[in-house]
Amino acid sequence: MTRPQQLTAKLSDKTVLNEKFTQFSFELAQPHRLEFSAGQYISLALPNEKGERRSYSICSSPENDHGFEILLDITPMGKATQYLNNLKFGEEIQFLAPLGLFTISPELEKKQQPLIFVATGSGIAPYRSMLADQLQQKRNGAKIILYWGLRYVQELFWEEEFEEMETAFPNFQFHPTISQPVPEWTLCRGRVTNCLSVHQQPTDADYFLCGSSAMIDDVIKLLHEKNVPKEKIHRELFY
Amino acid sequence: MADQQKPPTQTKQIGRYKVEVIREKCISAASCVAIAPKVFDLDEEDIARVISQDGEDDDTKLLAAQSCPTMAIIVTDTETGEQVWPR
Repeated sequence: MTRPQQLTAKLSDKTVLNEKFTQFSFELAQPHRLEFSAGQYISLALPNEKGERRSYSICSSPENDHGFEILLDITPMGKATQYLNNLKFGEEIQFLAPLGLFTISPELEKKQQPLIFVATGSGIAPYRSMLADQLQQKRNGAKIILYWGLRYVQELFWEEEFEEMETAFPNFQFHPTISQPVPEWTLCRGRVTNCLSVHQQPTDADYFLCGSSAMIDDVIKLLHEKNVPKEKIHRELFY
Repeated sequence: MADQQKPPTQTKQIGRYKVEVIREKCISAASCVAIAPKVFDLDEEDIARVISQDGEDDDTKLLAAQSCPTMAIIVTDTETGEQVWPR
């Protein structure tokens, strides 16, 4: 495990994706380079004397080692959201990175076995990094399927990016799943577990789960019923 | 030359902070292990546990606790008895 280091970075961009989600981009200040594995996260120091920190998955590709992006669900408007939202361009943050074990190991990559990514809400963040890494950089030809659960169609973002990946990489499938869809919605409806259980899944797949604890519990239960071995289930709880 | 008697082996305590993991709160994010690998590791269920109180200095132990996303690590100052983290 790489020992994390203390870094500073400057806010370089902020994209309001919709009413719920905002993407923040940072350029590293000191040190100037950060090596991380797709799926890892940062621990952001909040600017107070209490020593409070918040964790955010990196949603950008590891190929970019001079900056990174994170995704926030801004609706709770907690201390960290307010802090990041009020940052001015060029203003510095302090953080620790890289952290986390929610990554695709080199051994798993070598096996070229199917990978199934399941997310709810902002749990999509690490998969954007993993997909860029696996498909665009490493040209992993294994089947990769992404299930992403959201409540409303209006909450969707990055869907064009994922659809372009589907076109460019025939081994990749993207299934946005909406629990409260408009009548015109023709894709997956309900919870991600509904979609996962209806679709025939490839055997020998490794499952990556990231999102709410309710989703993770439901999917683990489903996978146990399907006799998926415990070691093939990887999870990252968002809280 | 007369035999010199060796001093008794002593365990050097690096600091005064004591750390404790609340198992029920741990989500296996493993930030503590990454920051203070001589103090924490993951058990067979991937839950963090304390392997030594003396492997790292106080600042590192405190940082490892502060980086835990679920505040599953309690830090106590053994000299004052005060809980240093979470505050």
